[in-house]
Amino acid sequence: MPVLSQILEIVKLNITLEWRQRQSILAVLLYVLTTTYLCYLVFNGLISSETWNALYWIVLIFAAVQAAFRSFQNEADRRFLLYFSLVKPQVLIIGKTIYNFFYLLVIGLFTFLLFLFLLGNIVADPTAFIVLLVLGSAGFACILTFVSGLAAKAGDNPALPAILSIPLLYPQVLALSRTSIRALTGFSWTVNGPVLLVLLLLALVSLLLSYLLFAYLWRD
Amino acid sequence: MKTHWWKALGVVFVLYAIVFGFLGPVPRLPILNETIRVLYFHVTLWFAMIILMTASLSYSIGYLRNNSPLRDLKAREGAVTGMFLATLGLLTGSLWARFTWGAFWVNDPKLNGTAVTMLIYLAYFVLRGSVEDPQKKARLAAVYNIFAFVMMIVFIGILPRLTDSLHPGNGGNPGFSGYDLNSDMRMIFYPAVIGWTLIGVWIMNIKIRYTKLIWKQNEHLD
Repeated sequence: MPVLSQILEIVKLNITLEWRQRQSILAVLLYVLTTTYLCYLVFNGLISSETWNALYWIVLIFAAVQAAFRSFQNEADRRFLLYFSLVKPQVLIIGKTIYNFFYLLVIGLFTFLLFLFLLGNIVADPTAFIVLLVLGSAGFACILTFVSGLAAKAGDNPALPAILSIPLLYPQVLALSRTSIRALTGFSWTVNGPVLLVLLLLALVSLLLSYLLFAYLWRD
Repeated sequence: MKTHWWKALGVVFVLYAIVFGFLGPVPRLPILNETIRVLYFHVTLWFAMIILMTASLSYSIGYLRNNSPLRDLKAREGAVTGMFLATLGLLTGSLWARFTWGAFWVNDPKLNGTAVTMLIYLAYFVLRGSVEDPQKKARLAAVYNIFAFVMMIVFIGILPRLTDSLHPGNGGNPGFSGYDLNSDMRMIFYPAVIGWTLIGVWIMNIKIRYTKLIWKQNEHLD
């Protein structure tokens, strides 16, 4: 079977499994809902563009870490043996990353709508914000999928996924939040073009690293 | 003497940097004044740290190639010693920031880079601590070390150049060579980098020898 269709199979398999265990994505969405509502209660009357933007990325990053960590948690032992006999580890990590990209994008869009609803529709350029969100989801997926695989192998220390992955996400979150604040106030594609390119390159570098290193990670 | 000359060289270079760092001539610059002498310690400690972290990275790559426990030990001790130098570099830098920029910690891309580096290596140690099986621990740690090192280089090397920094060489400021690192200062700066690196390698070697003795003792008991 050619590699591309194998990757597609992994993505499809993950979507099917996700559909069968709907409560897990609902749990993540509920997590976003409760934390956003918490922000709404605590920051009532204090919402400016800056706080809106900062809260959005903080809520999203914690939701993303939780969501991505689940992607390997259940299969560290059992289902992985099946994968390992069927596909190469490189195919597995690429497939998982693509799947997580869509997953995180859904969570990001949901959080975005929720923020618009609860914390106020103050986004001047929603298209620019969503483009940033797509780039951010890609970058998050590349790093988080790999680190979740690592954390799942390292045992069930509940703090581990967060402390291993959040420092690695700093470069992206910094670039994303600095740029997305401009989407709230007025966005120029020519000025922010280089930042978008940097975000894309960051995602590609982390994807390349996970492609190269994942085989070592899962060899037992 | 044949094998230990580099330790003596390290001591001589560091002593030289301390003595001449405090007594030697420095350019008279506004705001910086005499605090420019911290450069001999702050920047050189950071150079030495990056060198040790790079050594740790190369041992991690080596470990993935041949699974030798010795490589893993070297990778760990390289990271521990690098972390030690990073802490010293952070303290000296913080002191310097207090007297030139007015605060011990400012929101500057290079400082955020420092923070991310230290958090990544702390996470590396937590990862090592949370796995029991030594082979699995070594493999996971090596993989994380490689992944994290590249992200660290991206953060401290590339991102600050995209935004303004209070540090020289970024955001339109001239680099060191532009105005203040004159030939007098270079004569102290480069030996200090080599000196701190050699001292770091020495510390690392002692720690490796210590762990090897423990291994030997355990073998003996078994």
